[in-house]
Amino acid sequence: MTYMGTSPTRPDAAAKATGRAEYISDAVRPGMLHGAIRFSEHAHARILRIDTSKAERIPGVRAVITAENTPEVRLGFLRDNLALKKGKVRQFRDEIAAVAAIDPDIAAEAAAAIEVEYEPLPAVFDPIEALAEGAPLVHDVDPRGRPVTSNLMPVHFRHFSGDVEKARAASAYVAEGEWSTPLIQQTCMGTAGCIAEFDPQMNLTVWAKTQIPFLAQRDFNGALAQMGLRNKNARVIVPALGGGFGTGLDTHCYEYISILLAWKTGKPVKVQYNRDQEFAYLSPRQSATVRMAQGCDRDGRLTFRHVHVVQDNGAYGSWGATYPSVMLLPATSLYRVPNIYFDCELVYTNNTYAQAMRGYGNPELTFALESNLDQLAEEAGIDAAQLRLINCNEPNEVTPMGLKVATCGLRECLEQTAERLDWDNKRGAPDGTARGVGMASLIHVGGSGRIYRSDASGVILRFDDWGNLYLSSGGVEMGQGLHSSLQIVAADAIGVAPDRVFINQTDTSTCPWDVGTHASRGAFTACNALLMGATKLRDKVFRAAVELYPQLVEEALRKQRKRDPDAPAPSFDWRSRIDADAFDLREGQVFLSNTDDPVLRVDLGKLIRAAHFRDGGGQMFTVEAFYDPPSELPDWEQGQGNMSACYTFGTQGVEVEVDTDTGDVRILKMAAVLDVGKVINPQILRGQTIGALAQGVGYALYEEVKTERGRILNPNFTDYKIPTAVEMDFPIELEFVETDEPTGPYGAKGIGEPGLVPTAPAIANAIADAVGVRIHDLPITPEKLLAALRAKNEEAT
Amino acid sequence: MHPLPYHRPTSLEAALELKASLPGARFIAGGTDVMVRLKGGAPRPSALISLRGIAELTRSEVAQSARLGAAASVADLLAIDALREGWPVLADAMNQMASPQIRSSATLGGNLCNAAPCADSAPALLVHGARVVLRGPQGERVLALEEFFAEPGVTRMGADELLMSIDVDPPEPGLQTTFLKKKRVAMDIAIASVAAGLVMNDGICTHVRFAAGSVAPVPMRLPATEAALCGHPPTDARIAEARRIAEEEVSPITDIRGGADYRRRIIGVYVERATRALAARFEGSE
Ligand SMILES: Cc1cc2nc3c(=O)[nH]c(=O)nc-3n(C[C@H](O)[C@H](O)[C@H](O)COP(=O)(O)OP(=O)(O)OC[C@H]3O[C@@H](n4cnc5c(N)ncnc54)[C@H](O)[C@@H]3O)c2cc1C
Repeated sequence: MTYMGTSPTRPDAAAKATGRAEYISDAVRPGMLHGAIRFSEHAHARILRIDTSKAERIPGVRAVITAENTPEVRLGFLRDNLALKKGKVRQFRDEIAAVAAIDPDIAAEAAAAIEVEYEPLPAVFDPIEALAEGAPLVHDVDPRGRPVTSNLMPVHFRHFSGDVEKARAASAYVAEGEWSTPLIQQTCMGTAGCIAEFDPQMNLTVWAKTQIPFLAQRDFNGALAQMGLRNKNARVIVPALGGGFGTGLDTHCYEYISILLAWKTGKPVKVQYNRDQEFAYLSPRQSATVRMAQGCDRDGRLTFRHVHVVQDNGAYGSWGATYPSVMLLPATSLYRVPNIYFDCELVYTNNTYAQAMRGYGNPELTFALESNLDQLAEEAGIDAAQLRLINCNEPNEVTPMGLKVATCGLRECLEQTAERLDWDNKRGAPDGTARGVGMASLIHVGGSGRIYRSDASGVILRFDDWGNLYLSSGGVEMGQGLHSSLQIVAADAIGVAPDRVFINQTDTSTCPWDVGTHASRGAFTACNALLMGATKLRDKVFRAAVELYPQLVEEALRKQRKRDPDAPAPSFDWRSRIDADAFDLREGQVFLSNTDDPVLRVDLGKLIRAAHFRDGGGQMFTVEAFYDPPSELPDWEQGQGNMSACYTFGTQGVEVEVDTDTGDVRILKMAAVLDVGKVINPQILRGQTIGALAQGVGYALYEEVKTERGRILNPNFTDYKIPTAVEMDFPIELEFVETDEPTGPYGAKGIGEPGLVPTAPAIANAIADAVGVRIHDLPITPEKLLAALRAKNEEAT
Repeated sequence: MHPLPYHRPTSLEAALELKASLPGARFIAGGTDVMVRLKGGAPRPSALISLRGIAELTRSEVAQSARLGAAASVADLLAIDALREGWPVLADAMNQMASPQIRSSATLGGNLCNAAPCADSAPALLVHGARVVLRGPQGERVLALEEFFAEPGVTRMGADELLMSIDVDPPEPGLQTTFLKKKRVAMDIAIASVAAGLVMNDGICTHVRFAAGSVAPVPMRLPATEAALCGHPPTDARIAEARRIAEEEVSPITDIRGGADYRRRIIGVYVERATRALAARFEGSE
């Protein structure tokens, strides 16, 4: 292999560095109008009257829509959301009306001129209160109009194995507690937006900032049907994405609104959020509360794990409501635990509704699990690293959830992390400073995650007449480097130079189906599909070579003799019949694998042209392949099933120093060791991991969408703080363990999400080691930490 | 945003005339407060009058004393060696403002006229007893900076006046200073800040200045805290007393950035830290 493990310049680098990449915010269509949305001013209220007359009179306004003058468009996997709300609003950002106008300012002015009269209703903002008897109902009827009696969402994820009560009674040591994680924003550099446009046949094209172009096509086709546009099709085109982080996993009200506005006006309509709107009107990551108890025997072997999760979903369901599907992974399968109880309650409230974000439930659960494990280690008087090693997952094991773990480098990750942190000398050291070290591990899907019937990715490969490879994939490049991985794997698997691999824009009309770029699956599934396609394509080339190679070599020799009459004849008889499997293709040259005679090398483009223009019928070199990983759709009620083809493991370690007067936490060092199966592009892998660590640091220490009775108080970067280069200015030691996963493309596992999963508990554990107090709710702000330190000191005196 | 009438006068007189003739107009210098507010939906002025084209306002003179042009950018001021050397606490405070990008646009005058409790330059200037020079149709007048701030977002500058310069006297002989700022991340406005100045003679604090930001409606001096130390050696007991007084002397509020109790606590910690750090600088020399 020539390119695996190297970092050729990524294909999108120059365009992005020079500002030429076209993001949705850059996109313009001829005759395009601009949409603006009027959002609710109440968390829960009946809509009594909407008066759009003033807005309609504003010059430049082309349409004003409400639920009254448009067909009902339902969305969400629970069908509990409407593009334009009818009857009542359930959260501050509910869409009540929208405007299309000739420029964004007029649209905004007109949206503001719409008058809405409300009757406020009692609202509920705390998920526990929402579950209490008599709590206001966020949805009083289900999508079919049947009465609903509780705010519990009709979604269940459970797992029970062994006998937890018995195991708890028999445990030598038990630790338990409650942990909570905040609403946080994905803070994509590129904010959300879309353009919807109908052609004269009323087929729709949507330029969408999405990670799921094909599921979006299905959703938009559903909307067309609801609008009475039968037998029409939606085409989804994906522009350059300035980050996705889960925000593109669902289709959004603003997209349906631009479709409705385009339909009303007959013009392309763009809805583009600015930063403030992104903060206020795009769904953040769920907040969750996790009750966790774990026990061990005298030797530190885990005996049971008891987990109960309450997740505040806000007013509607997004795919993010299925976080517990991924929470099940660490809950059942991080470290070896024989007896497990996992249950969760997903609750509707009048808070902003939440959606997916990188890690998908895993960071929430792992924060509780790994914090609790440190407490258990302390209870049992066992070193926290040792406790993890005693219970470490090993290769070729089947976990209680039925995860079939083939490769597993967790032991090495733990050992390496401890070594890099100088754990044995630093952990628990009473050195008179407020310094400490902590660690935490992770398990995540490494071979895609099956949460849908198909977990597949398709690929179409095509050579043009010049031996350039055109690759169409349904996978979405959102900055994570998917296109670089495709180039590298294509170059090695097919035998062309990486810069001869051109990746087509993701477009449902030209690209093959892909379930979506989530679950760290992009490179894993797309590269696996690519490997299948590569075999087919090479086979096509070599079968053409069987017929055409002799004549091409003949020509080459003729030319060579012209230049140099004394050139020696090739050592090999090229005129004899050669089998297809005798050929090889490397760097765009077709040759015989058993000779390195340069005259016997034929340019791939020449061979393709010869095949194309052959007398009596030419041919093309196009193949497709479809890869669906060897995994199972779990039974969620039982929490059973091998949801991924393989699993990614890792450990992170942190050294911190706490300022005990101010509560400030300074990170002195981080170590991250990740079992990645195999490194495809080291530069991108480092970038993905360090970026994820920074997100993990933000989650641990800074980030929180603050709300007051459902209203977001900090919808801006002035008061929503994310780490910058200054906060990340400490040594980071990265180490990649290569376990060569058999199901992975060239042995690689998915690594998109895992880097942020264990960061927060590693930091929390390091702080506890430094100063003996443990913060149970993220973010660990100086204010919280100082209050905890003072409480501890008061207790001591 | 709809376009807003924008004027860029090149003389003080023209600027003042425009201001008088355009009711509801607002001055703009670096725009790093004005534009953020406008985008955030603040009431729109009728016009913007830029002060960046007026040479008198962007020029600074720094020698024994300093006259700092109100419309000079923070980055330009930070580039003046004599300013960094003579008034290091001001340089420290300006260096902790925002980011390099913002500092290259933001002005010192804008920071003060914006009258935010968190204006970082204010505590440092208060420690030096700075004065502001205002200019209106009636001519110039000078105010102590302490008198300049009225309430959050409001100064004692008249609607027909503008800020010309900030004047700072030569530092007290032997003055040692420091600026401590509590923020959530590197680029953040202060949750609480303390600027301190100290002169010690024969082990006694003979000149003490404390000023604090983000812990009262306006940036403030801490006279009671100063009095607790002035005339005394900085013993543990004295410092503890100063710290206690400082915590009482401020009147912070709880907002999204931090709680009132926490802010008080930080002021106490910073008064103690500043005093110890500054006192230590006198140790070798005596
Ligand atoms: C991202 C970001 C980070 C920031 N971080 C900090 C920080 O850490 N610390 C801090 O203190 N500030 C911070 N700020 C606020 C701001 O940058 C400063 O207050 C800056 O000094 C304002 O100066 P300006 O020239 O941009 O003011 P402008 O926005 O131009 O004006 C501010 C106000 O002063 C008035 N004005 C300006 N000059 C005059 C004059 N000569 N006469 C009369 N009126 C005048 C204007 O009419 C306006 O009301 C930050 C701002 C941003 C956007």
